[in-house]
Amino acid sequence: MSNIAELVQKVIAGDWKDIARLTQAAVDSGMKTEDIVHQLQGGMEVVGQKYSSGEYFLPNMMKSARCMTIAFDVLKSAMKGIKIDSLGKIIIGTVKSDMHDIGKNIVVSFLKGVGFEVIDLGTDVSEEKFCEAIKREKPALVGLSSLLTTTMYEIGVVIKKLEETGLRSRVKVIAGGAPVTENFAKRMGADAYASDGGQAVAICKRLMQA
Amino acid sequence: MALTQKQRILDVVAGKQVDKVPFGARIDVWYNYHSAHDSLPAKYKGWSSTDIIADQGAAAQKRFFSVAKETYHDMEVVKRDEPPYEVTEYVTPLGMCSIKLIWSVNEGPWLAYEHEKLFKSEKDYPVIKYILEHTIPVFNEEYTKERKDMGERGIVMTGTGLWGPNQRVMREIMGYELFYNEYMDRPDKVDELMTAMMDLERKKLDICVDADIEIINLCANWSDDIHTPVFKEYFTPWFREANEKIHAAGKFSMAHADGEMRRLIPLYSETMLDIAEAVTPVPQTKCTMEEFRNGMGKHVTLWGGIPSIMFESDFSNKEFDDYIIKMLKAMKPGMRFIAGMADNLPIAADINRVGRVVELIEKYGKLPII
Repeated sequence: MSNIAELVQKVIAGDWKDIARLTQAAVDSGMKTEDIVHQLQGGMEVVGQKYSSGEYFLPNMMKSARCMTIAFDVLKSAMKGIKIDSLGKIIIGTVKSDMHDIGKNIVVSFLKGVGFEVIDLGTDVSEEKFCEAIKREKPALVGLSSLLTTTMYEIGVVIKKLEETGLRSRVKVIAGGAPVTENFAKRMGADAYASDGGQAVAICKRLMQA
Repeated sequence: MALTQKQRILDVVAGKQVDKVPFGARIDVWYNYHSAHDSLPAKYKGWSSTDIIADQGAAAQKRFFSVAKETYHDMEVVKRDEPPYEVTEYVTPLGMCSIKLIWSVNEGPWLAYEHEKLFKSEKDYPVIKYILEHTIPVFNEEYTKERKDMGERGIVMTGTGLWGPNQRVMREIMGYELFYNEYMDRPDKVDELMTAMMDLERKKLDICVDADIEIINLCANWSDDIHTPVFKEYFTPWFREANEKIHAAGKFSMAHADGEMRRLIPLYSETMLDIAEAVTPVPQTKCTMEEFRNGMGKHVTLWGGIPSIMFESDFSNKEFDDYIIKMLKAMKPGMRFIAGMADNLPIAADINRVGRVVELIEKYGKLPII
């Protein structure tokens, strides 16, 4: 197995202990840095698919995300002066009055892992803060997370605010969270719904192409 | 003589066939929000949540208090307000740890979230272990008042607290992500913390087992992608140990199982838990009620089955009725089943749908369901 193939397999398996050596070996082999990055991102995409299918759990994703962090640390110097194209910019946050972040953080890890530029606004994010962030960051996508039946309607509040401020046409909105269903997300005015982090990757990619 | 709401629930959990499916309703999110915002329906202004549920004809459930409360020894516990946060510092001879809470505004001022967890880094292990080792649980007199207030109108749904020892470490003390990072890097220290927490919770369980309580809550709030990997290692042994004691005392146990449970269902049957409460089926999770019933085994009482969003106007009265009737038929013959919200009545819900469930049970939920 080549160094890069072994490296990707280790990312998928979440075996972080040998990642630094294998990444350095891939660099030393003369492989283009961009190509190494794309291979690693492909590995994370497989992790996302395994997570969505029910084969993987939270710690599997965390181990793979750790592999990516280690690999990018090694690649840091090689990446200087090289522009790695992102798949797109997304701002994401848990809606107002909702303090839960685990679901959002899983989505953030997957999106970052496959190459999206992610601006994480955190939890308890008001509609005004989403609007400010959209004006400032000019993302293509906005991710709205809610874990509670008491806060899920805030998804609609944010989308309404985007409409009122003329920002809605600039972004695609994806929503998710435990009580949120596809029907509910659509009814609130979202463009798409994702049931988990792995699915969010595929849907964000599709939204970027739409 | 007609069964009381409480006796009907207890008989169902014991595997007896009663007259009809009990409906154990939970409305605290709806009630607390509308009480805090002075927006309870005119009829119910000034009523307690238990009175409202009783008026709707359902059995009540009450939680967020425990049989045992914690007292702290050989340390200084300092609480202070840092709006919007409430900070608690535990000052011990081994160092200090703090927790920062924020109270939910939207849901009414009754639910706190840990903005900063007690555990922040490796240096906190000995301090938290010290705190746990110097925490002594005592009987909570408040419990007696709550139990008396409930009477035969339903069940006080509590026990050692909201969560079992393992869930306390994972969710309350560390948070899931930090827990798994520590589990990867310092599994021995995580084990030590789990052991210290189990020692404390064991003392609380002993108080519960000796108390006047029929159903003891042992844990809550799982998600199969988070808990399955460590369930057999940390959760199952504790549940089996606790249930040996609980069953020997002639009592029942439960866990609040409202999350995505698909991969946890087969593990649940090994825990000796008697009740899976707030079981949440499609469309809010990926599991059907049939999967819960078949996967958890006939000895487990399923309590729940009505996704909370069904109580909102997004679902028409006909859709609501159709769902309840279909659910009751799916559970036939209806043994070891208690209808309930999964997991709560939402803020925007129509309270009269609680009464509507009661009406539909009278028509379609007489036991055995054919």
